[in-house]
Parts: sequence; structure tokens; C-alpha cells
Amino acid sequence: MTDHAVLLQQIINGLSLGAMYALLAIGFTLVYGILELINFAHFNVFMVGSFVGMWALELLGLSGQSRILTGLPLFGALAFAFIVAMLACGVLGVAIERFALRPLRTVSGTTGMITTIGVSYILFNVILLWAGADAKNYPNPMPAMHWPLGGAVIELRELLIWGIALVLMVGLHLFVSRTRLGKAMRATAQDAEAARMMGVDVDRVVVTAFFLGSALAGAAALIFGLYYNYTSFLIGYTAGLRAFTAAVLGGIGSVTGAMVGGIIIGLVETLGGQLIAVRWTDVIIFSILVLVLVFAPAGLMGRAAPTKS
Amino acid sequence: MLSRRAVIVQLPVAALAGGRIARAFAADKSVTIGISLPLTGADADDATLIKDGAMLGVDDAKDGVGGYKINVTVLDDGTATAGQYDPAQAATNARKMVSDQSVVAAIGPQMSGSGKAMSPILSEGDLATITPSSTNPDITNPAMAGQFRPAGKAIYFRTVTTDAYQGPNMANYFAKVLKVKKVYVLDDSGAYGVGMANAFAAQAKVAGITVLGHDQLDPKEADYTTALTKIKALNPDAMYYGGVALAGVKLVKQSYDILPKIIKGGGDGMYSSSVLKGAGFPAVEGWYATIAAPYVFDHPDVIAWGKRFQAKYGRAPSGYAVTAYDGVLVIFDAIKRVAASGKPVTRDAVRDAIQTAHVKTLQGEVSFDQNGDIQNRIVSVFRCEKNDKYPIDDTLHQFKYLGVAPQTV
Repeated sequence: MTDHAVLLQQIINGLSLGAMYALLAIGFTLVYGILELINFAHFNVFMVGSFVGMWALELLGLSGQSRILTGLPLFGALAFAFIVAMLACGVLGVAIERFALRPLRTVSGTTGMITTIGVSYILFNVILLWAGADAKNYPNPMPAMHWPLGGAVIELRELLIWGIALVLMVGLHLFVSRTRLGKAMRATAQDAEAARMMGVDVDRVVVTAFFLGSALAGAAALIFGLYYNYTSFLIGYTAGLRAFTAAVLGGIGSVTGAMVGGIIIGLVETLGGQLIAVRWTDVIIFSILVLVLVFAPAGLMGRAAPTKS
Repeated sequence: MLSRRAVIVQLPVAALAGGRIARAFAADKSVTIGISLPLTGADADDATLIKDGAMLGVDDAKDGVGGYKINVTVLDDGTATAGQYDPAQAATNARKMVSDQSVVAAIGPQMSGSGKAMSPILSEGDLATITPSSTNPDITNPAMAGQFRPAGKAIYFRTVTTDAYQGPNMANYFAKVLKVKKVYVLDDSGAYGVGMANAFAAQAKVAGITVLGHDQLDPKEADYTTALTKIKALNPDAMYYGGVALAGVKLVKQSYDILPKIIKGGGDGMYSSSVLKGAGFPAVEGWYATIAAPYVFDHPDVIAWGKRFQAKYGRAPSGYAVTAYDGVLVIFDAIKRVAASGKPVTRDAVRDAIQTAHVKTLQGEVSFDQNGDIQNRIVSVFRCEKNDKYPIDDTLHQFKYLGVAPQTV
């Protein structure tokens, strides 16, 4: 491989990672935008999603990478798994909001955030005890198709990840900017009190934010499983922390910022690994987090986004 | 709070009570063997096989050893937070075993990272442990005795050899048998993995292999495509990985996609049922792995033993289930000899007896040098080849034995 081809390959790898981080970062940003709450349970909602997706695929009789599907059956299997994983995560997110966070909404300070850390640990340990600690061989029915691209290789799963991520993000953008509920979300994000006075059902808005953010985490989780053919109860933290960094980098509260931040973090991870050393990846990524928090707390797009005063 | 005087007054009483307790134990005639293994986390499968190997040995001694009834206390040094073995938990387990006076010897740990944490504590407590699988040479290296056995005597015995042989001998195998010219080395940042990878890389250079690079993987990271793409660009003939299952599973899967054609190998961390199950075929097919012990499953005694193991636990044993069983035999031999000499079976007497052991075990006669290392230094090489007749996570049948790795270039 030439130097250019390697860089191109790392950019392809980085975009795939970035798409995953972006979907996950949106969940942080949606909830923060409305409640000013950092939802650490999101890490492990993502992890649970990868298991739900795995069980959905296993329900269809798939195991490991031994059964390959093509055409309509492949589309059907993936659509089924995405719907199940996204719905399950969405419902889980709503349940977390309803039972763990809503009772605390009037309590000021960091109580809510600390509660989400607790919920995160509960999910982590439930999956550990339920599914066991060993690495899971993820069922993946996708054929190993790939195409050359300027010396690099682009794989079917990468195209699929970009396609699905793009569709979901455009869908979310349209939802937030075009629908009544989306308008209510933006209004609540700007000023919950005023929105309530204007007749916006704030509870409904909060539930919607949790549902959408968690459902996108479910999609990201299934993408994760299909990309790496692997899952384990441990996957939430690394991916979650990086996605959180992406949300902060993009400007927490800004949906577009989360998407852009996710892509940037993905590229930083692969290009940093290529040009410096893989073992420095976390140092580079979390240095970005610290630098953004110190020098530009609003992030890349924070100012343009609606924020509470 | 007791005043200082009260403490002084009570001390002799406590000492007396202690003496009485010790006598009470002797009257009961029972001793305890501690077992500390990572039964939670990515290594749980292999750790369970090791535990089963040891327990089979204990069950064989139902009628007691040298007149002593044998109790077992099993501790877990794997934690959910670490996702694999956890040195901090291993240290806690070592303290637990040391503080329990009935524990006269131990089996474990599985992992060198745990061994490094446990060894100083066991040394202070004068408690011998026999590890069936941890191979990092530092722990028994006399130059590092101040760190790992501050009390002086060897307490960390092994029924496997160390990575001072496992890594370099595999480098010789890569050069001599597999004719590798250019290799890339990876490790999983753990004590075992780093030691293995360094030892391999050093000998690879001596053996005339170009080491293109050496990078470290974070075992909690999911994505190794960056590292692997980097390796692909360097165009190596082979990749060597020092490490255990947590990073290993992901490495196997992702290198199958990115580097499908090159030779891939690892140490005993990859001779693992967790790797077989987690990575699965076809990804794991063709991987080379070693164990730091002789291959004995072609010996009739071991075949018979393997059948007993299979009947009892429902699956085939691993190479380190054998060495764990051997470790138990060594401990029992020591207890027997101490009891026969008429001395009380205390942990320091058992330690001294282990030090001078010459025990016939499944892998042949086991004896130790003054640092606790086994005298036999054999590294066996395997290659993963799918065998549909056996379960997918059966290391014994999914890894094909190829021979002994050469000691010299």
C-alpha cells in the first residue's frame, strides 16, 4: 500500500467510527439540550442495544458469520434487527427517564447526573450476570463484499454504516426542524418555563428526547456489532466516552454539532493512530475534550444552537 | 478503645488462644488449599478449565493426604470493572489466603498481571502458590527478588515454563519453520502480553527476522482497524501478538478482515477456549499458539485422565488443566512428606517441601530451581484447524499440535 492509500484507508475507517460516534453523541446532546443533564446511562443503553440486536439476529436463526444472506432476506433480517434494537433502546431510555430521572427533575444540582451513573452500572451488571462476561461472536449475515478504491478497500458493511447513519441523521434533522413536536423540542430547549406557558407538554418533549436519543444509540449499537462481529458487556465505556467528547466538541446541545463532532473524533482516532501511535489514541482524544472545555466551552457549533440562559 | 496497658495485658492471652487454635486444627487434621483464578471476565472459560483440573486433583484425594483432610477455598480475581483478571482483586485474594492460617498452599493465579500483585504478599506470608499458567519471567527472576519476594524464599512455583522461553522459542519457530522474514509485533498492554511481545521481538531480531514495529492495544478498546491498517501498509509476512483473550478476540476478528493472508501467532494467551468461542471460525483458523508446557495428550495416562475429566465436567480439558492438576499433585506430595516426617503441616514446611519436590505428574517429573521455575523448559506449538467433530471452544481438538518450538536459532 502506498502512503496515500493508507491515509485513504484510515479515512474510510475513521468515517465508519465517526458515524457510530455521531449517532451516539446525538443522544447526549438531545437530552442535554432539553434538561441540561449529562446522561451517563446512555453508555450502557448503547451496550444493551448491541445485545438486543444480537438476540434479534439469533432469533432469525443466525449465528456467527456462517450463514450469509443476500438480497431481500438480508434486507429483511437487518431491518428486523434495527427495528428491534432501536425500539428496545428507545423504550429503555424512556423507562430510565420515567422511573429514575423524572422524580428528581425538581431537585437541583448534580443529583440527576449521579443517578444516571448509577443506572449505567445497573445495566452493565445486569448484562454481565445475564449474558456472561465472555466476548460474543456477533451474528452477521452480510456477505464479505468489498471494492477497491484508490489503493484502499471499501467494504459493504462500511457503505451500509454510512448509509444508515446518514438516513437516521437526516431523519432526525427533519423531525427537529419540520414537525410540531420538533418545534416543541426546540422551544423547550430554549426556555422550558416559557414553552410550558405557551402550552408545550414538556414531559412529552422530554420523553421524546430520551426515546430518540436512545433509539439512535440502539442503531449505533447494532452497527457496532455488525462492524466488529463482536460485542461484550464492556463496550459502553470507550465508545460512550468518545461519543461524549464528540458531543462536547460539536457543542453540547447542538444536534448538527454532535454529528460533526462524531466524524471529527472518528477521524482523529484513526489518523492519530496512523501518524502518531495507536497507544496514544485516548490521550489525543481526551486532550481534545479538555482543550475544548477550557478554551471553547461552547464547542464548534454551540453558539448557533439554542441554549438555555 | 483499649488503653495501651490493656493491650499489653491481653497480648499473652491472645498468644495462648492462638496456640490453642493451632492445636485444635491439628486435632481436626485438615488443611486448606487456596485457588485464585479469574472466573469473571474474558478469561473465565479458560480459568474454569484450570479450576476443574485442580478440583479433579482434590477430588482424587477424598480420603485425605498424609492423614489430613483437604479443604479448598476458591477465590475469583476477575472483576466486572476490569472485564478480565484484576491485579487489585488478586492482591486482595492473596491477603485473604495469607490471613487464613489453615491455608498451607495455593493454586493460581492464571495471569501474570495477577501474579505480580500477589507474589510480594504471599512472600511476606510465607505461603507457596503453584501457578499452572502464568509465564511472565519477572516474578521469579532473582534480579527482581526484592520486588516480588521481599521475604527471600521462593514462593511462586510454576508447573509451566516462562516467557523467557515461550516468546523466544516461538520467534525461533517463526524463523526456522515458518520462514518468516518480516514481522509486526503487538501486545495487549498487560504484564504478560508486554513481556511476551518483548521477548519474542528480541529473539526475532537475533533469528534474522526484521521487526517492522511494535504497538500496544488497549484491551478495552473495540476498534483495532487503525492499528491493523497501519500494519497492512508495512506489508509484513507475519504478525505476533502477546496477550490474552480480551484484546485477542477482537484482534482475531479484525485481522481476519484486514490481513487475511499473513501468518498470525500468539502465545498461551491465544491457546484459549475464550478466543475460539468469541472469535469463532473462520476468523481464528490458521492462528498459531503455544503453551509453556509439553504436549502430553498422546500419552495413554493422560488420555485416560482426559476421559475422566470429560466425564466429570462435560468438556475436554485444556493444556493448563493438566498443569493445574500437576500443581495439586505437587502440593499433595509436599503435604505427605511433611506429615510423614512427623512435623506439623504448616505453610512454611509445605513451601520447603515443594522446593525440594521430585513428583511424577501428567507432564512427567516436576521439580523446581531455587527461584520456583520448573526445570523442564518445553514450549509446544499449535495451529488452529477446525475440527467439526468437537465443540467449537474445545482447545484440545481445535488446535493441532505441531511440535516443540526450538530452543535455539
